[in-house]
Amino acid sequence: MFSLNQRFFNRTLGAMLGLGFAAGFSDARAYEDWPQFRGVNASSVSNDSKLPVEFGGESKSNIAWQTKLPGRSVGGAIVVGDQVITTSSSGMDQRRLHLISLNQQDGSIRWQQELVARGRPFCHPTSANAAPTPASDGKNVYAFYSSNDLACVDLEGNLVWYRSLSTDFPKAGNDVGMSSSPLVVDGVCIVQVECQGDSFAAGLSCEDGSILWKRERPKQANWASPVAIQNPAKENMVVMQSRENLVALDPKSGKELWVVDMPCSTIPSAMAVDGRLLVPASGITALDLSSVGASPSKLWDNNKLSANACSPLVVGSRIYTISRTVLACADIYSGELKWQARLTDAKSIWSSPVVANNLLYIFTEEGKCLVVRLGDEKGEVVATNDMGESVLGSPAISGNAMYVRGISSLWKIAEK
Amino acid sequence: MILREELRWKELAARPFRACFAMLITGMATFALASQTRAETGDELIQKLRTVEANDKSNQMSAKVAKQIRAQKDVKLLSVLKAMNGATPLGRNWLLGVANSIYQQSGASQTAELKAFLADTTQNDEARYTVFHWLSQNDEAIRKSMLASMREDPSQELRYLAVKDAIDAKPSTPELESLLQAARHPEQVTGIIESLKEAGVAVDQAKHFGFLMDWKLIGPFDHVGTANFDKVFPVEADAIAQSEKAEYDGKNGKVSWISKSTENVQGELDLAEVFSNEKGCIVYALAEFDSPTETEAELRLGCINGNKAWINGKLIMSNEVYHTSMQIDQYVERVALKAGKNRILLKLCQNEQKEQWAQRFAFQLRVSDFTGKAILAKGR
Repeated sequence: MFSLNQRFFNRTLGAMLGLGFAAGFSDARAYEDWPQFRGVNASSVSNDSKLPVEFGGESKSNIAWQTKLPGRSVGGAIVVGDQVITTSSSGMDQRRLHLISLNQQDGSIRWQQELVARGRPFCHPTSANAAPTPASDGKNVYAFYSSNDLACVDLEGNLVWYRSLSTDFPKAGNDVGMSSSPLVVDGVCIVQVECQGDSFAAGLSCEDGSILWKRERPKQANWASPVAIQNPAKENMVVMQSRENLVALDPKSGKELWVVDMPCSTIPSAMAVDGRLLVPASGITALDLSSVGASPSKLWDNNKLSANACSPLVVGSRIYTISRTVLACADIYSGELKWQARLTDAKSIWSSPVVANNLLYIFTEEGKCLVVRLGDEKGEVVATNDMGESVLGSPAISGNAMYVRGISSLWKIAEK
Repeated sequence: MILREELRWKELAARPFRACFAMLITGMATFALASQTRAETGDELIQKLRTVEANDKSNQMSAKVAKQIRAQKDVKLLSVLKAMNGATPLGRNWLLGVANSIYQQSGASQTAELKAFLADTTQNDEARYTVFHWLSQNDEAIRKSMLASMREDPSQELRYLAVKDAIDAKPSTPELESLLQAARHPEQVTGIIESLKEAGVAVDQAKHFGFLMDWKLIGPFDHVGTANFDKVFPVEADAIAQSEKAEYDGKNGKVSWISKSTENVQGELDLAEVFSNEKGCIVYALAEFDSPTETEAELRLGCINGNKAWINGKLIMSNEVYHTSMQIDQYVERVALKAGKNRILLKLCQNEQKEQWAQRFAFQLRVSDFTGKAILAKGR
């Protein structure tokens, strides 16, 4: 069985070679996959990509296309091959669940799938039933919704399997809205459904949706997403945050591999880099992943690296966090704060930012995109772009293009 | 010798039976094999999807059937849509998934049949809504023209869209009054009443929704550590048995029933105010609903705290959830109303969260038909 990373490496390589032959290597990176929330390895970074600094506004400069979509979404889009795939929820109480594929090239709709929510569709007016970002293993797409409806479709939009986890577990739900994104690893689709009722995490077979394992979770609302990491033996693990602790599970069995007693954040999600797990807690706590089997020990923590909504990201040896409208930078080896910058053009930021070519793209609820040039000593806002549409989902990057899911449309941003 | 002879006779006697048995087994096996090898028709496969239940086995069956359907060419779009009538909720989603795939391959050529399906209000509501979406998604004029006749549609989803379209068109005051009768969704009803108010037309909002305004309350009872959601306090047992006493031991001493009415237009009764912001407590609320007729109805509760509800002694709701949200029609359950007086008992549980946003202790309740239209108590 391929791991997710292997499969995507192979897909990407194949796509690069195929496109290279077809296009004379003019744009060999055009169809790189961004298969899940925050992309490959949940890094949020595609540093070889070159994106425009300025875009949007009245002139719609460097907007390759914008496609209006039904309903609303606060989740991000993913990229699989030449498809950009996103979810929406529409209609009365946002009960209609959409999964939509658009052609990367021109933004035309390639296929749509639509189901009806069988769980509770209610959420805060800021949010949407379509809140989690879908995930793909390169073969199928797994779309999860706040109502705990989980659908698997193939890359032509055909329904492969479907589960209503709120029918299986009727007290699962949260009327503020859920938003934890699904994770696909080792042939298992993993979801975190954490609320005051039936609170659990589960692993479902990617083949047929059977529930392979289910674990009770703390009965508290949690919007953070599960994260795949590897131990030094290159075995996959899944880490899950809660207010009580951080646990690592075997993705195939759900068996607990280790647990660290530390209260974690319940909105931003952790990320792993260079043998370290960087966990949003009271600030950021860095854990050492270098030993096999043992619970990781703490390397450092820094409460000045608070992340209230956006997940952190790392570029080189620097970690970046956003607390409301303050961007902070620290060293990933020591935790030492390097600089902070107030983002004066932003009011409300929910979208986890992304980085391309050392530029940090921060989308706001007010419909702006701040572009920050990242430096060792400071961050400099080099552009504030007006999108004219609220953005709460994290963007996807593929090649030299960025795909941004606004509340009611999808944008392709690329140099014209 | 005799024994051997007996055995031989028995063996001879058994031969015809064995032969028959062998033939029977062979026949059954052949039949089973034939059944297995005969490809199921599209209609047979569709029927299987109608019955999907919430378990792994049923889900695995559905995944196989959906795959078989994809491989078939004779599955008709209209057959799939019609099969949604009477299907389980999960089955309807499977069928919808199949229908979407077929529509995207060949549905555009079936416009006339789809229009007829949409017009047939005996078909499944969810299927009709999907067909409406297909037929109208690329043509705003068609969409508006179809919605204009759907304000009273039995599909609540279509009715919602039709009313929304009419509201968006900035209707006149008489049109708003007409829309108020058509609207069912609480947001739309509230918005229309607000617009009418601005136009100088007063509407009794609480009556329009059918909120129950008069309650008997008793409490607080102990709920420290959110420990007693499932504890049956004596008052609870007595109220279910319709033999409640005047006084009970409460959390802070003796407590007795008090009458409390709300004048809130959304029927909200503020228990935090009545019980002096008590935390870690339970309050019981009792109301009588004098139904004009014996009928099936819906009890619609909005509550930001943990809650249980009984009607005529029968438990119908149990929601151990605190401070996630409160909205009209948050929890909806079907109930059987008897003609005359029906007793509605609520158990309302407040936890001990300290955050500012976790201080509310309130509920609202109404009785409606299956579309959400108020059923008013006799004399109201």
